[in-house]
Amino acid sequence: MKISLFCNCRYMGPTSGSSWPVPADDFSTELAQESYEITLNHAEIADQLGWNWVSVAEHHYAPFSISPNPMVMAAAFSQRVKTAKIALMGPDIPILNPIRVAEEFAMLDTLTGGRIVAGLMRGTPNEYVTYNVNPNESRDRFEEGLKLIKMAWTEKQPFGWQGRYFQFRTISIWPRPVQGPHPPLFMSGSSMESGKFAANNKVGVGFAVTTLEAASKAAGYYREEAVKSGWKPTKDNVIYRMPFYVADSDDQAVEDLRAAGAEKFKGIGILNPDMMRVLRQTKYFSDNENRNREAQTAASELQDRIKLGQLLIGSPDTIIKQIEKIRDDLGPGILDLTNAGEMGDKTIKPRIKDW
Amino acid sequence: MNDEIIIPGAAFEEKFSEADGFRIRYMEAGFGPVILSIHGANGLRLSRIHDMLAKSHRVIVMEIPGFGSSEENTGAKDMKDLAHSILSFIETLDVETLNLIGMSFGGKLALVCAILRPEIVGSITLIAPAAIRPERDPKEIPNHAERAAAMFAHPEKQPPTNQLSAGTIAKQEDLVGRTIGPGRDEVFEAELAKLHVPVLALFGTEDILIPPEIGKYYREILPNCSLMMVYDAAHAIDADRPEAVTELIRDFVARRGDFIVREVDGTILP
Repeated sequence: MKISLFCNCRYMGPTSGSSWPVPADDFSTELAQESYEITLNHAEIADQLGWNWVSVAEHHYAPFSISPNPMVMAAAFSQRVKTAKIALMGPDIPILNPIRVAEEFAMLDTLTGGRIVAGLMRGTPNEYVTYNVNPNESRDRFEEGLKLIKMAWTEKQPFGWQGRYFQFRTISIWPRPVQGPHPPLFMSGSSMESGKFAANNKVGVGFAVTTLEAASKAAGYYREEAVKSGWKPTKDNVIYRMPFYVADSDDQAVEDLRAAGAEKFKGIGILNPDMMRVLRQTKYFSDNENRNREAQTAASELQDRIKLGQLLIGSPDTIIKQIEKIRDDLGPGILDLTNAGEMGDKTIKPRIKDW
Repeated sequence: MNDEIIIPGAAFEEKFSEADGFRIRYMEAGFGPVILSIHGANGLRLSRIHDMLAKSHRVIVMEIPGFGSSEENTGAKDMKDLAHSILSFIETLDVETLNLIGMSFGGKLALVCAILRPEIVGSITLIAPAAIRPERDPKEIPNHAERAAAMFAHPEKQPPTNQLSAGTIAKQEDLVGRTIGPGRDEVFEAELAKLHVPVLALFGTEDILIPPEIGKYYREILPNCSLMMVYDAAHAIDADRPEAVTELIRDFVARRGDFIVREVDGTILP
């Protein structure tokens, strides 16, 4: 099983905002620079310790992640991370220009000598507000964007694209990706629609902000659909993301997390309930289960979240047992682990080393 | 979005013309620059693109001699023979130049017509053209029924098609098999390389009969070719994405290769 460090790019300073978008009146440029430096250091240490991947994502208008463009973050990683693959879990395809995405991925793949993993995401529902895109169009824009990106990477003759949401009269990207035919592709596999689309298009799937049981069920569906499409996914086609924290003992791990305020984590649904009420009525969500998922996971108690396979915390022995259960139930090839509690540089460095 | 299925062709009038020894059936509507549409191997099919183009163009949708209810065409041995009949038909239209649309089998015919008479052809739009085809075992070449099944990405949005009689299908299949030529043809492709008529080549991203990967050959061989992928369309690109195809044809017929430069105003609010 491969291990990935998901670098959340959290802004490390205090903020007064309790909603989304978060006002920037408390924003400190110095703290933002320091936050990026901490993130880059984490990625560099993970690489030096032999972690297989480091990953980044796209989020806007809030301090929980100051990575509105993961391509820029990955470009910074490329200058420090020398061996690990750099995985982008986002860009958020429906709100972006797919050709720009294809070009930036190709640049990154060239800069890293072919170490880019291309996770194409729909983004969290609030991101449709960010770039003023109708969330009802989310899935259709995503599916079209993914096919266009693949073609931009692989078609060597200049071609145009007459889509429903994207239109280009001529496309011929330079540079071309190093990896052939293109960097490995991933997308979220949480809903049945996503799982079927990923299976039909030979795209890997990732699971985040979910439960181990729900992810295992969705992965099973994805694998069945892939067989119907004439191929069999390997474990490397499945990513599971969860927060992690290692301490000397289980009690210490829980105590540290509580002290760091991890229980207070609030998802977008809790930060801006009025906006989420509107978003939950859109076609962004394919079914009720997904519609309520974020609220359910964010509201759970720490111990419940551990049991649900949403948190990987405890002593090294406990962590190993938890990973064994994830291996047996879900069978992912990649564990994408994010630093639970976001306790910053001083706390996490030795923990990663000890892990 | 309006989900109502529209039966195409309401504005079209059925006409006949004597040319090259055949009584050629065609459908006509509209006024303006002339567009002649040449059908594929399954025969004449009016499409919503014809309706929409007829609002700004004189649109003629002809039936190739030997298709539909016309007499069996035993004389045509190759594409050039069929192209001669089409060029004779064009002479009856009393036009100096015209724009060709060629669908699948008709795409190859449009190219052959332009090779023979480039001076009368202002532009060619190829829709899933069958002039260059994937290398296939002869047993795997799709027959009429297989082609019909692979026509649409969204059959649920299509109007019911007129079922052809077994005799008509056999007559058409014989003519197509006799005339279409090999999937790759060095002599023909050498002629294409000298054809300077502007060509717009459309491929459906979901087409399994003429897959979009074939598009690159047209771009490589033709000196003046714009290649365009039409998303979420199968073989009958015009039927699956009529608005998308109409917009392209209108712009290409008016501006040829210049159509790569956007003219549509992008202002959201003045």
